[in-house]
Amino acid sequence: MTVPLGAYIAVSAVLFFTGCAGVLVRRNAVVILMCVELMLNAANLALVAFSRKYGSIDERGSVFVVFVFVIAAAEVAVGLGIILSAYRNRPVINVDEIHQMKG
Amino acid sequence: MTFDFVEPVVFALLSIGVIAGGVAVVMLNRITAAALLMAFTFLNMAGMFVLLGAETIAAFQVLIYVGAITVLILYGVMFTKFSDSPRALFFQRQTPLAALFVAAVAVPIVIVGTVSFTSAPPRPGGGDLPALATSVFTDFAFPFEIASVLLLAAMVGAIALTRRDDPQEAAMRRRR
Amino acid sequence: MISLVWLIPAFPLAAFLISGLFGRRWLGHLTGLVATIAVGLSALLSIGVFLEVLGGKTQTVVQLYRWIAVGDFSINVSALIDPLSSVMLLVVTVVSFLIFVYSNGYMEHDAGFYRFFAWLSLFVFAMLILVMADNYLLMFVGWEGVGLCSYLLIGYWFERPAPYYAAKKAFVMNRIGDWGYTIGIITIFLVFGSMNFLDVFKRLEESAPAQATLTLICVALFFGATGKSAQLPLYSWLPDAMEGPTPVSALIHAATMVTSGVYLVARSMPLFEVAGPSLQVVGVVGAITAIFAATIALVQFDIKRVMAYSTVSQLGYMFLALGVGAPVAAMFHLATHAFFKALLFLGSGSVIHGLGGEQDMRKMGGLRRKMPVTFWTMLIAGGALAALPPLAGFWSKDEILGAAFVNGHVVLYAIGIITAVLTAFYVTRALWMTFYGEPRDHHLYDHAHESPRVMTLPLIALAAGSAVLGIVVGFPPEQGSVHSFLAPVVEAAGLAEHIPELATIVALALVSVAAGVIGIAFGVSMYVRHRPDSAALTRAAGPVYRVLVSKYYIDELYDHRFVEAARAFAGASWAFDIHIIDGLANRLGWVLAMGGQGLRRVQTGIVGNYALTIVAGLLLMLVAYGGYATGILGR
Repeated sequence: MTVPLGAYIAVSAVLFFTGCAGVLVRRNAVVILMCVELMLNAANLALVAFSRKYGSIDERGSVFVVFVFVIAAAEVAVGLGIILSAYRNRPVINVDEIHQMKG
Repeated sequence: MTFDFVEPVVFALLSIGVIAGGVAVVMLNRITAAALLMAFTFLNMAGMFVLLGAETIAAFQVLIYVGAITVLILYGVMFTKFSDSPRALFFQRQTPLAALFVAAVAVPIVIVGTVSFTSAPPRPGGGDLPALATSVFTDFAFPFEIASVLLLAAMVGAIALTRRDDPQEAAMRRRR
Repeated sequence: MISLVWLIPAFPLAAFLISGLFGRRWLGHLTGLVATIAVGLSALLSIGVFLEVLGGKTQTVVQLYRWIAVGDFSINVSALIDPLSSVMLLVVTVVSFLIFVYSNGYMEHDAGFYRFFAWLSLFVFAMLILVMADNYLLMFVGWEGVGLCSYLLIGYWFERPAPYYAAKKAFVMNRIGDWGYTIGIITIFLVFGSMNFLDVFKRLEESAPAQATLTLICVALFFGATGKSAQLPLYSWLPDAMEGPTPVSALIHAATMVTSGVYLVARSMPLFEVAGPSLQVVGVVGAITAIFAATIALVQFDIKRVMAYSTVSQLGYMFLALGVGAPVAAMFHLATHAFFKALLFLGSGSVIHGLGGEQDMRKMGGLRRKMPVTFWTMLIAGGALAALPPLAGFWSKDEILGAAFVNGHVVLYAIGIITAVLTAFYVTRALWMTFYGEPRDHHLYDHAHESPRVMTLPLIALAAGSAVLGIVVGFPPEQGSVHSFLAPVVEAAGLAEHIPELATIVALALVSVAAGVIGIAFGVSMYVRHRPDSAALTRAAGPVYRVLVSKYYIDELYDHRFVEAARAFAGASWAFDIHIIDGLANRLGWVLAMGGQGLRRVQTGIVGNYALTIVAGLLLMLVAYGGYATGILGR
């Protein structure tokens, strides 16, 4: 009895939307970044699962996963850079207090 | 005795780990705990990759996510201090609405996703490295190069963003 | 010479442009010279054209260019040169020339000298276009042009309020008449398919349209003519127009513009003759206006106003002539009237100029010793107006009255005779009050002086014309050269040559002369011998006198009825515009602004809110996809 593809998709979806909820709900900028990583991971899982399903025909899912790794890493680096640089202005960052673009 | 039951059990455990970790990241107040549980999630994720037969990718997952990204996040946590008030958990006004929307989107997708793909299970082939490597360096050589440029750009960008300002230069900029 | 006919209006147009563009800074008083020379050249050319028409070229069309050509509707800028238009050309240019010469002296001290000559030249240009046009539309261009110039020139001294009110009144009344004219020419086009005179008359012969339509056309055109020629009911602008400078009154409101209505009807005689009662309407309106205006002129004190009402009355005579089937007599009277009325106005101007601006005859008196040239020329003109033989006025007015009697319009004839008596009386009164008796204001009298030569020479020229023009072209009555010249153009081909017997002619002439003499005698006895005394008569006829002096309260009537109604309508329109139309625009703007304000709240500046919006969009897409996939939404 093997695990059906749908189970992997279910896990991926649940993790993705958990991360999504976290992005929308949390106030802490670093935590938001962590949730984004969760979302990227969930996407990776879905990609690999599909790729393995059609693996003999199509390797491109896995290739895309490699690129997602690269991008996620780059994104975390730059994102943290932004957070730290914003932190230098004010010692406490609550994301909902950054509203200079209001109006 | 057939060991067919192993795979579903392992899958169940891993998936519980993944989801629990994710929920913890969203719900926990203490950031360090949240960061470490995120790492835990990544590890479980690597396990799931192995279960799917994509060992190379699992290796990458551990290297990059658990290794680099977790460390970066911890650095971030270290250099910033956030308010520890009990209400620090949530956005003030948006939360109910956000929860509603996300639930509204998530539930149908999860259900549809689970229900639609009950067909053939994924097939763990014998290792994925050769095929992956061939693909990356032949068919996808160009995106690969672009990716390295992207990393360079991210590096330079991160440095530029976090460079400590020359005090005189900062004063001049403020006066202008 | 006829091929050069378009130079005739070109000279005044050039004078207008030169005076208007360069008069203020560079040319100054030279503009008068330029304009006078231009009109003089036009006059010479007109004489040449007239001689050529006299020599036999009785109908030439000279096209300048193709103006409108849209499908069936084709109008050209071209001139129709035939006896009728060549006579008008001659009268307009010669009289204009003399008045231009006069104006150089009259307007000498005026600051806007160049402006005066610019507009006067433009007026001559427009009048020439009107006279030369070979179609109703081009004539309308000239028609409107003279109306505009009349407005500009009446309101020439715009620093005072009275002139510009008068100018506005003149223009609006003209406009009301123009409405009739427009209806007329549009109907002409609808019925005949063309606005060209020759085409319309030809098609009239070929296919006779309905009587009702023709009557409508003719009455509409005549309504336009009443506006332009100051007949009832659109006459009250002409007395007010005396606010303008006297040369303007002479040229526009005596000799040329006001005769364009007569010209229009004369030109359209083929239409009028066929269109049932329309000629009767013309005749009756003309006769009533004649006597009406003459009664008002009896009691006016402003010398120019007397002349103005006299003009209205004489124009009534011309329309009377048209109405009784004597268009040649009408044109003849038009020509003679141009001379003696212009002379009367210019003479009045000379008096006013000599007295330093005084127009009230009650302050004049005994001026014949101080201003002899003016006096003698005015005397000749007055005699012509009163239709004393052998002056010009006698021949033309006698023909009109004769035609009225001979063609059976006895009532109109009676009205004409009575008006002749009144005319003779009021002109005698005016001349006596001005030139005879003891001066009533000694200060004015002492400073009075004769006008300079540049002003008196035209007076003499016009006096010569008033004296001999009648005999030269109008003798013998009904058979003079003016008849043989004009008749083919304006009289219907079938109209029998109704030349009455010599006895009838002589009898009618004697009656006319008697009427004039009675009028003069009455005037002389009243003012010289004070029998009856004018003051006593005034007191005795109290209410009648008041009515006459107040010009029958017509102005007040018009003001109360029409102007107030127009003002109320304008007020209602203004309110509608402000509240409803502007209100609509404002509310719309307000709605948009409110919408914008509301939508602005989406921009909270908090990125998390924006992320939520993304998720909301995702939800929407999901709903849409689900709806389409399951067939709930769309097909």
